[in-house]
Amino acid sequence: MSKTNIDEINRNIYDIKNKDEYDYKIKKGLTAEIINEISRQKSDPEWMRQFRLKALEVYNELELPTWGPDISELNMDEIATYVKPKTDLKNSWKDVPEDIKDTFDKLGIPEAEKKSLAGVGAQYDSEVVYHSMKEELIKQGVIYTDMETALREYSEIVKEHFMKCVPIYDHKFVALHGAVWSGGSFVYVPKGVKVDIPLQSYFRLNSPESGQFEHTLIIVDEGASLHFIEGCSAPKYNKVNLHAGCVELYVKDNAYLRYSTIENWSKNMLNLNTKKAVVGKNAQIDWVTGSFGSKISMLYPMSILNGKGAKTEYTGISFAGKGQNLDNGFKVIHNAENTSSVVNAKSISKNGGSCTYRSLVRINDNAKKSKCSVSCESLMLDDISKSDTIPVNDIRTDEVEFSHEAKIGKISDKAIFYLMSRGLSEEDAKAMIVRGFAYPISKELPIEYAVEMNNLINLELDGAIG
Amino acid sequence: MLKLNETPVRTSRNFNINNIKLDDINIPDSIGNFENITIVNESSNIKIDNNVNNTNLTYGLGTILEKQVKENANQKLNILVDGKTNKELIVDFEFDEDNINLVDNIQVVANENSKATIIIKYQSLENIQAFHNGILKVIAKKNAHINIILLNLLNLKSYNFISVENELKQNAKVNYTIIDFGGKNSITNYYSNLLENNADNKINTIYLGKENQLFDFNYIGELRGEKANINIEVQGAIKDNANKHFKGTIDFKKGCKKAMGDESEFCMLLSDTAKSISLPMLLCSEEDVEGNHSSSAGKIGEKELFYIMSRGFELKEAMKLIVRAMFNKVLENIENKELQKQILKEINIRLD
Repeated sequence: MSKTNIDEINRNIYDIKNKDEYDYKIKKGLTAEIINEISRQKSDPEWMRQFRLKALEVYNELELPTWGPDISELNMDEIATYVKPKTDLKNSWKDVPEDIKDTFDKLGIPEAEKKSLAGVGAQYDSEVVYHSMKEELIKQGVIYTDMETALREYSEIVKEHFMKCVPIYDHKFVALHGAVWSGGSFVYVPKGVKVDIPLQSYFRLNSPESGQFEHTLIIVDEGASLHFIEGCSAPKYNKVNLHAGCVELYVKDNAYLRYSTIENWSKNMLNLNTKKAVVGKNAQIDWVTGSFGSKISMLYPMSILNGKGAKTEYTGISFAGKGQNLDNGFKVIHNAENTSSVVNAKSISKNGGSCTYRSLVRINDNAKKSKCSVSCESLMLDDISKSDTIPVNDIRTDEVEFSHEAKIGKISDKAIFYLMSRGLSEEDAKAMIVRGFAYPISKELPIEYAVEMNNLINLELDGAIG
Repeated sequence: MLKLNETPVRTSRNFNINNIKLDDINIPDSIGNFENITIVNESSNIKIDNNVNNTNLTYGLGTILEKQVKENANQKLNILVDGKTNKELIVDFEFDEDNINLVDNIQVVANENSKATIIIKYQSLENIQAFHNGILKVIAKKNAHINIILLNLLNLKSYNFISVENELKQNAKVNYTIIDFGGKNSITNYYSNLLENNADNKINTIYLGKENQLFDFNYIGELRGEKANINIEVQGAIKDNANKHFKGTIDFKKGCKKAMGDESEFCMLLSDTAKSISLPMLLCSEEDVEGNHSSSAGKIGEKELFYIMSRGFELKEAMKLIVRAMFNKVLENIENKELQKQILKEINIRLD
């Protein structure tokens, strides 16, 4: 009997390699001299240079994680932490150098900007090469720019918020980020302004044996709302690349932020990213995450619910194929009364891939009348893959409603039988079940990304599921 | 400081659950004798001697405590079950002024097609600080069926450390009912190795914590045989400043096709200073399995309390009723009525 095959993700588009051309590439390694040189190249203010050096000190003091995937192959002496592309920031696609523009064209970014986005930022290696936003948002006082511009033009706001939500002491790779960060986006949405159409930043790492360390800082002021999308990809090289970005989100009282990520790094990428949101009174942060790429991923977005009535939802899916170890999850701290969190995590492992859902729910003693509901499901598509669920639930007060449930297993024989009894072939039945499994996540994505995700989970009729 | 009870897979150190650190504990160097042990064995199919094998534990609580049991146990019991019996074996350790430290090494070997129920009880007088460190190893051979009822009824000043390890062969069934009420610190490492096809292990645990009690449960089930099945149910209530850590791991090893694993954990919080941490892990290297876990926590439902109090019960009595009702399903597993009564009495006392 022919069996169904769920394809590895088609990476043709993402694997386009441009020639490794740059304006400046810092030498490999991590020393105070290198940090000073990055700072000089970027014309940092003195406080930022000092900050970077302090972060380097902390990096050298902190240990590598004693848990999670093995990242011992990462050798910072072999990674160039700053690669300046051979262009400055442009506000028009036609001014972006042809080969870089061509890459973003193939990734569909300019097209998406025309059709469905209110603003776009595009980073190539260590610097943002393109940024633009619709005129009406500028008139409403919305700021959407690259971090370097923000550091110059909105220095007080940046200084007040930069790495305060994610301190450099959090873990080793946050300290590394603090030392070598470059690029990224800054968004400020003024009080009461609703940004109905999403903004998107796209991060592309082209240079081999290098790292990308973009910093995203978003402040959604009181009563405002925003949907922000980030996408990331890189071509595959033989040696490891590193992504250690940092996302800091401030969602003020009564504000709303949806942060969507489609992560499709190449399979030589170590994705050690950190994302955290501080959420005010009656405010809400929703995370939507699709994780498909990377050799190793350790990514656990975090919501800190500091204001009464603050809410968060996490909706995420990971798809690990051959050679991939995706250790993803979510963290939430309930730190005020009447806060609530809903987590819906799914994973699919196949072809020897490994998926881990790792999480923390902490309900502090000041978070009375809080609620948390966690659901995670893992689907194994063959017997050479691996799927783990490692959730920590830390409840420090009695007036809470907390529940967590998880399931792990293969496609149900009963479900296949049921669908086949309705006239579907075995292959179609399995395809439908896998799509149905991913549907709760894909329906949360903007339509063009949902289509992309469904394409990624491409079913063919020859081959084998299990 | 004593670091104990490491989880089989680590997670972030900031989550404070990879192990338990105790800094106010002294492991006694000189443990003396422990003679206040009562064994009731009315079955000719159960033989007891003290020829215990000192094999290394796969997990266990930690090197120091394991070494103490292997080198200095003051009670060794090798229990051989050969054939079926309906007569329970009761092993009762009672701590008093003259029997303060117990380091016990108990081994149960259940031969093929055997069946028995074994009750192991640890209890203490109120005014002493007892120390218990033990290993219980159960080997259930083909078609053996063993029920173990493990009771910790020590006082709240005492220390209770226990490492349990089970090895289950083809069609073997091992059911545990664990009543864990006592000890200032009660730290349990429980490991089951479901080696062969159709091995079946059920664990029902109830715990009750008050004052500054700390419970640390680290339950690990590894499924290797086809159609192996493990079911872990842990429920309890904590009040005052009590702390409970539950770490449950079901690990589906490659080859355990059609295996099933379920773990569920519920913690009732009876005060706003009691704390509950749980880590219900599912690890899976086999496709054709079914694994589920659920974990929940919360206070007693106000509607239930209101209903019971509207029938004339005071608040404390109403709470007791609800906690007893929660434990009832587990207590029903205990056929020994006297023991049931004793547990119910303990629940009443400890909830006062």
